[in-house]
Amino acid sequence: MSEDDDAFDVIVVGGGFAGLAAAYRVARAGRSVLVVERGSSCGAKTFTGGRIYAYALAELLGDEWHQAPVQREVRREILALMSEDGCVSVDSLLPGNAGLSYTVLSSPFVRWLAGKAESAGAEIICGSTVSDLIVRDGRVRGARVGDEELRASVVIDCEGVNPLVMERAGLVRMVDQRSIAVGAKCVFKLSEQEINRRFATVSGQGVALLGMGAPTRGVFGGVFLYTNTESVSLGLVVDSAGWRKRGVPLLDAVGDLVEHPALAPYVEGGELVEYGAHLVYEGGYRTLPRLSGNGWMICGDAAGLCLNRGFTIRGMDYAVTSGIAAADTAVDALAGGDVSARGLASYGARLKRGLLRDFATLDRGHEWMAGSSALFGVWPDAVVRAAGDLYRVDGKPLHPLRATMREATKEMGGVVSAALTLVKGLRSL
Amino acid sequence: MTRLKPEQLLAATHFDTDERHPHIVIDPVACRTCPSDRACELNCPAARYAWDDANDVMHFDHVGCVECGNCRLVCQRLHDGAPGYSWSYPSEGMGVTYQQG
Repeated sequence: MSEDDDAFDVIVVGGGFAGLAAAYRVARAGRSVLVVERGSSCGAKTFTGGRIYAYALAELLGDEWHQAPVQREVRREILALMSEDGCVSVDSLLPGNAGLSYTVLSSPFVRWLAGKAESAGAEIICGSTVSDLIVRDGRVRGARVGDEELRASVVIDCEGVNPLVMERAGLVRMVDQRSIAVGAKCVFKLSEQEINRRFATVSGQGVALLGMGAPTRGVFGGVFLYTNTESVSLGLVVDSAGWRKRGVPLLDAVGDLVEHPALAPYVEGGELVEYGAHLVYEGGYRTLPRLSGNGWMICGDAAGLCLNRGFTIRGMDYAVTSGIAAADTAVDALAGGDVSARGLASYGARLKRGLLRDFATLDRGHEWMAGSSALFGVWPDAVVRAAGDLYRVDGKPLHPLRATMREATKEMGGVVSAALTLVKGLRSL
Repeated sequence: MTRLKPEQLLAATHFDTDERHPHIVIDPVACRTCPSDRACELNCPAARYAWDDANDVMHFDHVGCVECGNCRLVCQRLHDGAPGYSWSYPSEGMGVTYQQG
């Protein structure tokens, strides 16, 4: 199949969730595969909010996924509406969802996944940044690391949310600033027992909190908190284009977040062990790039396969499942002797039967959320104020409930406007 | 909780920095005529960009950059690869080295 003896069947650019899933799968099928990772080890450059959905891991690893170094099983979901110094939360215990998702720290997880891929026969070189793809006669034939040419029949690009290599090759357009959010996260170390106590949970189980309101200053985005085994991840995600109009440095917003009265007690006294940031692609279905061509496929964040539904944000599971789909497509194409655009076209078809259905369903979701700024400032504020009225007993005459509700809806732009926003949201999410 | 300063946030993160070769290059003087309202200053999650009023130039420090790519998108000149502006990843495994991720 290969033109030369020293060429690989498959080269994977990037050893993250997507790349290692693809490499593991290709290696298991008995094909030669090389992963080129720019970090000093796999996991050194990965960064995530912190929750992975187990179905994707089971699809990749079968029962072996239970050995994966996930943190805690998410048993409680908290949705928090936050004002500057107050908060109204919905705290849900959902036994029907047991075992579906786990908190995760991506560096140790990806390191482990790299070990699995290597055991399956994949080769991994770290500390090597792919500069360009080798393109000859309109077909991708490998990748360049500095002066070194690495040849392969198929290149699977999993280089992450800034797809510089694919941009240089002219195979994807540069991401539009309006389709990007930026997430920043702090990890605070606390003992396992202390986390169990603070979150009223037991070892192995934990909490996922998503918040909206004052911390993002009316900008489309939100707050997240995940309990790990011996640490708590706390951060926020804000729409990039919206944030620049706020006049506040992002790092100040992170400082404020850690001090918020509703969140500070959870991380108080914990040692900050890491801070980092990562872009979140939010362009949606209609902005996705071409997913394959002559000798190449693109997966995970590089392909924009990330979906924010407000109450769930998914990227890692789609990275893994797109990596699987690309690997299976490559294996079939190599067996059939056709790695041209036609031979690899079934990658798109595989995704359409799978994760792209979610993207089609949520086609208008991002537009609705990004366009409904009241959701991320005025509404949470109004709810916190209304709750304050409901619970207030101070010896003064009672405030009638209807008056409280009337004031709250007035703040939210009136009953009709609030109802319209909600109906649009129900249709798009 | 005592307030976390930017230096404290970044001090917690592990870097293996290529001091001599910045992976992001800007033109501090050309930044005077910024077409992007100096969005880098607010949008950099590591506060690596700061306007230097005294010298009327943009100050950028690649040491401590977490390689997120936000500046590449919010800055028109980095976005377009204008003369004097370029954005790439560090090479040879250098740069931010996450332990937690």
